[in-house]
Amino acid sequence: MNLDWSIVWQSRWLLLEGAGVTILLTALTMLIAVPGGIVLALMRGSRFKPVALFATGFVELFRNVPLLLLVYWAFYVMPVLTGLGLSPFATGLVALCLNVSAYNSETFRSGINSIRKGQTEAGLALGMSKGEVFRQIILPQAWRRVLPILASTWVSLFKDTSLVSVIAVGELAHTAMQIRSQSFRVLEMLTAMAAIYWLMGYPQAKIVDWIHRKYGVRE
Amino acid sequence: MTAFARKNADKPPMLIYDKVRKNYGDFTALDGVSMHVNSGEVVCLIGPSGSGKSTLLRCTNALETIDDGEIRFEGKPLPKSDTETRKVRQRMGMVFQSFELFPHKTALENVAIGLTTVRKMDADEAHKRAMALLAKVGLADKTANYPANLSGGQQQRVAIARALAMEPHVMLFDEPTSALDPETVGEVLNVMRNLADEGMTMIVVTHEMSFARRVANWVVVFERGQLLEQGPPQQIFEAPTTERTREFLSHLGWNG
Repeated sequence: MNLDWSIVWQSRWLLLEGAGVTILLTALTMLIAVPGGIVLALMRGSRFKPVALFATGFVELFRNVPLLLLVYWAFYVMPVLTGLGLSPFATGLVALCLNVSAYNSETFRSGINSIRKGQTEAGLALGMSKGEVFRQIILPQAWRRVLPILASTWVSLFKDTSLVSVIAVGELAHTAMQIRSQSFRVLEMLTAMAAIYWLMGYPQAKIVDWIHRKYGVRE
Repeated sequence: MTAFARKNADKPPMLIYDKVRKNYGDFTALDGVSMHVNSGEVVCLIGPSGSGKSTLLRCTNALETIDDGEIRFEGKPLPKSDTETRKVRQRMGMVFQSFELFPHKTALENVAIGLTTVRKMDADEAHKRAMALLAKVGLADKTANYPANLSGGQQQRVAIARALAMEPHVMLFDEPTSALDPETVGEVLNVMRNLADEGMTMIVVTHEMSFARRVANWVVVFERGQLLEQGPPQQIFEAPTTERTREFLSHLGWNG
């Protein structure tokens, strides 16, 4: 077999840029989907039935549709439905946010529900409003409990961003595939791509392990 | 019932319960309870588990809503709106059986949080006040500790300081020593007794009969959501007027 690894080195700046887009996409998704998850979790707990129902519908829909399908849907159907012409990057971001917000909502919901009712009562008994109780007492405690799960979600998301390559978002997978199809260096590029994902993903997984050890629930 | 002079009987009562009813589904937790608490009194609520004592306490600061009857605090019925309820709660301190300190905050922060969040007091001033209150409950050296690093008795004393920070007019104690190791019960009861000596109005749900006997001005016996008997501790503990009170007390090993 005739292997030519020089193509990887030659494409290093393109690959680096792709890796940068992958990280940017992951970070932006989390930046939106964490508050999004909190809001959805609160909406699901709302006493106002239509609000709770809407949030439940949202979560159950976007959690149970394959992410790849969601990406295609956002690309082909969303513009027709909404009249919005988003860039592939923004479209990919929307798809990821819909999916991850739904997941995060469940994470926060279980975290919030795991805090004893007495904590809320202790805050209310001091004369705090429900909002103050949530922000000062419940959320900080729930946050510590869900942090390990959010970290795991981050690592999954980091890898799942490769799915938006199907709509030509210039992240790592798409960039590598492009170079492959232009250079016909299939084995080299796929291997390089795997190596880069692993090199970036492994330290993140280690950090997650550390977060699990540091913040895991001990009672 | 024999007429005993109650403390501050010449002034309007601080709390009046008028035929208070509370149901949980089919279960009647409070079945038309009427009683009152005068300012400066220590009223102990005793009775078997599930008799409604804690429910009455939780209805007092509106953690539970009542289904019928009325609770009047300082001359006014408990308000309906959230904003007004919050104002009333600031005048009532509550101490829970399971402490319910905020585990992510130090002892000092636990005591100060009501002042900074609800009173919008600046942090330095709030911490100064919190420091003084922790000293008052004998924990001046534990201000930086998190609840997890405090004994049960210490946690409950922090919880008392936290409630006192809001300068309440009445303190509600919901079985404050029931979750404690026997060796730390005394330190909490001492703090409560000091509060009583200072003239704090207190309603105490308790199984500590010797505390009720020595510190209470008035004792109310509950059974199955009803008020079985009430009177000064001498009467309740030495000459109870009902057979059920006698049975309950002897069940607890109380023999006068």
